[in-house]
Amino acid sequence: MKRLLFILYVLLPAAFLSGCGASLAADRHDVERLLLIQTMGLDSRGDGVEMSVSTGLGAEDAPALVMSAPASGIEDAIARLQNYSPENQLFYAHVQYLLLGEEAARRELGHVIEWVDRSPTLRMDTNMLVVRGSARDAVVDTSEQSTDITQRLESMDRQARSTGWTVYTLREIAAALAEGNGALCLTIGTAPTDGNVFTEEMGSDAVVPVGYAMLGQEGLVDFLSPEESLGAEIITGDPTGLLITVAGSTLEILDCSVSVVPRFAPDGQPSGAHIRCTLQAGMLEKARDGAMNPEEMDAALSRTVSRWVSDALARSQAAGCDCLGIRDAVLTSSRDMALWEERWPELFPGLSLSAAVEGQVDRSYDLAQ
Amino acid sequence: MKEDRVTRKQFAALILVSQLSPLLRLLPQTAVSFSGRAAWLSAVPALLPAALLRLGMESWRRYMRPGEGMGGLLLRWLGPVAGRAVLALYALWFLVYGGFILRSGAERLVSTIYPSSGQGMFAAVTIALCLVVALGPLRAAARTAVIMRTVLLAALGAVLILSVPNMDAKRLLPIGWREAASALPGALPLASVCGVGGCFVFLSGYAEEPKNARWFLGHILLLLALGGAICAAVVSVFGSALAATLTYPFFIMIRSISLGDLVPRIEAVVIAVWVGADFMLCSMLLRCAHEAIRAIFRLPDPDELPMTSLGGGRFLLWLEAAAVFAASLFFEKPPWELRLWSDRYIPLASDCVLYGGFLLLWLVTIPRRKKEKSKG
Repeated sequence: MKRLLFILYVLLPAAFLSGCGASLAADRHDVERLLLIQTMGLDSRGDGVEMSVSTGLGAEDAPALVMSAPASGIEDAIARLQNYSPENQLFYAHVQYLLLGEEAARRELGHVIEWVDRSPTLRMDTNMLVVRGSARDAVVDTSEQSTDITQRLESMDRQARSTGWTVYTLREIAAALAEGNGALCLTIGTAPTDGNVFTEEMGSDAVVPVGYAMLGQEGLVDFLSPEESLGAEIITGDPTGLLITVAGSTLEILDCSVSVVPRFAPDGQPSGAHIRCTLQAGMLEKARDGAMNPEEMDAALSRTVSRWVSDALARSQAAGCDCLGIRDAVLTSSRDMALWEERWPELFPGLSLSAAVEGQVDRSYDLAQ
Repeated sequence: MKEDRVTRKQFAALILVSQLSPLLRLLPQTAVSFSGRAAWLSAVPALLPAALLRLGMESWRRYMRPGEGMGGLLLRWLGPVAGRAVLALYALWFLVYGGFILRSGAERLVSTIYPSSGQGMFAAVTIALCLVVALGPLRAAARTAVIMRTVLLAALGAVLILSVPNMDAKRLLPIGWREAASALPGALPLASVCGVGGCFVFLSGYAEEPKNARWFLGHILLLLALGGAICAAVVSVFGSALAATLTYPFFIMIRSISLGDLVPRIEAVVIAVWVGADFMLCSMLLRCAHEAIRAIFRLPDPDELPMTSLGGGRFLLWLEAAAVFAASLFFEKPPWELRLWSDRYIPLASDCVLYGGFLLLWLVTIPRRKKEKSKG
């Protein structure tokens, strides 16, 4: 009898370990009832937010479910969105893209990072993009019967990465901001396809990268122009594959090495930095009005990229947002790193930053000598 | 006394698996908040106190009579009154610490995986399972620990390897003299983790005699290397500033791991590590508390009686489990307060009881040891 009671005692906990009891695991849901949210957009609306979500295309090309809800906060928005889908459970563990509208990027960035840290489902490695305008428009206007925002973003993501742009994750942005630096975030815009796409999907908007946003401790600081974004990409990222237009010719960056040389005043205080960049580009398409000779092309490449890099540095400095990694390069070379680290925000705007680019154009065999 | 003793390897596995519980609770956030990007170097200075503690424990072992354990030794050396008082204090600490492990483990599980669930149920199920382990022979727990050690180390190893694509070694450097010096305070939580191994001196009567006192060095090195690797991985993924602000940076790092489209998320692995380690530590604390109480009342060895028996003072194990559960109710605090207990008060108390207490006992018993040595 004792033995039997003991076996029952041992088996008792098993009844609680299956994880299927609704009372024990209230957030348990059947897989077939889950709606996997793949793209989440956030906008600022007065004192609250508006959240827009898309589930991505379902099985057998079932159309994506696209919803939007204004609310007082993110969790409130999630609760409201759930009300729109009483039959199914919205599931946020597989969100691939987090879109922040301009205003949300300005006001809600820190809040979003904190929220993801607390969230039991969302990942810090979710790709983050800033939308020119409203995230709601991007989520809603790009979705239709046979395609949706996630599919468009995936396509844009592949294209952007293969052409040298960097899609940053929330983790990378949060890490840079936590270290006291600024951060870059790829900005997307929507472009109408009317008149260009002649199929039944005609009418919805396409998603295109339009450059980088500069993010500071408080949120979005400013947008870099497309050319400044190219300069920023060359300094900070891996620009291999980046397509650039120089003197009417289209070049693809094949290799790029960047070194940041800090400069110090006699008292040891950081006084500036010089960015040296060696660039190798391949010619993809010659200028229609006749290409320059190889030496002229090299010089034009150096001049053009040097201007982009200098402009990006100047914009970042003017905005007081060190999103190009100058701080790390300067401070790690300093003997009094900790001392200057504290004073960096006041030092940065006054630093003398310069750039020199040495470019070389390959595939130039058919250029006139 | 005990014919089928726990082997040294099994004993080492038992200690290591139990130490993974505070290791994963405290690291990397406490080490990073103390040492910044140099947290991964904190394992080096932590080696000294950890090795000294274990060396002290091993030196005591030489004075134990066969199968006696720490309880019997303290009664012999300190006398029946002082000895019983010290043992009662240790038993109380083990029960309180066990209660804290139950509650913090439940809170971590609920806040990260099951946000809509209650902590009480997790704590109740865990203590019921811990009681089963404590009622059984220690060698059974030790054999389980050997299997768990392999599983847990494999899981942690896999997590560290799979995180490599997200790592950026630049976040760990540069390390100058200033940063190297800042690794010292980060050694405190690691030394505290190693100190938890000190509890096991109460169970050493069940284990084989070691061939020499160096047997534990490899085990300490493995634990510290694991601690250093966890800090290095998290800092290189998030940077030290972000890692110090995240709630559970190691878990958040794991949440980002995916094996392509095949296995998009692998958090379950770390849950296994957390729950397994908490479960083993709580079971062993229950057993350590019973060893201390057994010495106080001079009760027979619990392993020599059937598992279902309540005789020979074995009913006390049930009461001790109830006390651990009651202690866990004391720690039913808001998460921010529990975090404060987890990061500050509990490690501090643990260090006082294990490092401080053992040092004090070591000093107090010097004359006694000299006497025993002279006797030969």
